[in-house]
Amino acid sequence: MTTFHLTVVTPDGCAFEGQAERIVCRAIDGDIAILAKHGDYCTALGMGEAHIVDADGQRRRAACMGGLLSVLDGDVRLVATTWEWAEDIDQARAEASKKRAEEILARKNLNDREYELAQARLKRALVRTSIR
Amino acid sequence: MAGSMKDIKLRIKSVESTMQITKAMELVASSKMRRAKERVEHSRPYFETLYKTLTEIAAADPRARNPYLRRSEIKRTLLVVIAGDRGLAGGYNANVLKLAAQESGNVEVLPIGKRSAEYFVHHEAELFTQEVLLAADISVGQCFQLARQITEGYRKGEFDAVKLCYTRFDSMMTQTAVSIEVLPLAMEPTEQQKAEARRSQILYKPSSEEVFSAIIPEYVAGVVYGAVCESVASELAARRTAMDAATKNAGEMIDHLNLYYNRARQAAITQEITEIVAGAEN
Repeated sequence: MTTFHLTVVTPDGCAFEGQAERIVCRAIDGDIAILAKHGDYCTALGMGEAHIVDADGQRRRAACMGGLLSVLDGDVRLVATTWEWAEDIDQARAEASKKRAEEILARKNLNDREYELAQARLKRALVRTSIR
Repeated sequence: MAGSMKDIKLRIKSVESTMQITKAMELVASSKMRRAKERVEHSRPYFETLYKTLTEIAAADPRARNPYLRRSEIKRTLLVVIAGDRGLAGGYNANVLKLAAQESGNVEVLPIGKRSAEYFVHHEAELFTQEVLLAADISVGQCFQLARQITEGYRKGEFDAVKLCYTRFDSMMTQTAVSIEVLPLAMEPTEQQKAEARRSQILYKPSSEEVFSAIIPEYVAGVVYGAVCESVASELAARRTAMDAATKNAGEMIDHLNLYYNRARQAAITQEITEIVAGAEN
């Protein structure tokens, strides 16, 4: 299949750089897939599962949270806040984080900020645990 | 003579212990340096890609309506100043604070790093937050929180521009204090006009406004985080250089003092011999 140049960068370094066949990730308004020869495009990313099919047809799954995806002249750049390959996710830690977030949310006397933080934590944990 | 010998001996001891401290600080700085340098190298591609993508989009579609465009007049500026948590790093803190102090007009300050916070509290500048953020252990998460507060303030019109003063890590030997404009988005329509004609067909999903309002906090956080990484690395490099120089100076001083000590000792011996010889002759 035709491939395109894809770069995935995060604050912790470059997660992927090279030719890819397809990238699927969750944007703010739903899942999208980008194939080669896509038109110029730009969107913000939500939280969810993503996967890349690289030039050898290998499918790699990852958890992707926040950031942006842009296609300019066939060059695809994914600038993610966090990008964790499925094999790097610490499931035990994600479970613990999920439990903690649920405990916090179960309490009654939360202010808006605490509620927001706990919600975000739960969401992240759910994305991580869903990728196995 | 014996008195001055003792004085010199004491002086040598004190310089030696100072040298031990500077030596230890140098070693600590260089071992931390390695990690900080790695962090800078890892965060740079993110920082650069984010910046490049955003300016390209902004240049390609100058008509895109978003709340972060240049305002007609800048009444108030938010200044994010990143300095170190500790002194003894040569001119590191002084340079970046001096640069920040040059910023005139109606300014509100968001200090990062203990030194920066102390400086602006002392100079009675208006502060954005009262909490003191330590530069050394700021995380990506904290940067995102800060960015949310900054963009919220910008949208509400509490300030019309955001500037960032930090120290760029050029190499182990050179670090430059720089000030960059974060908001409003710098757009260069003149240079990019040709590209714009060709590229005005970018598809924004769901809409350019929504994309921008989701991306801008991300961009601000990325810029702040990148600047913090650079500043921390610069601080350690500056401290390493300063402490290296201090250790060298201490070594030189000890050499000098040893020379004086030996001279004093020799003088004392000579005097004693003269006294004995004089006594024997009588």
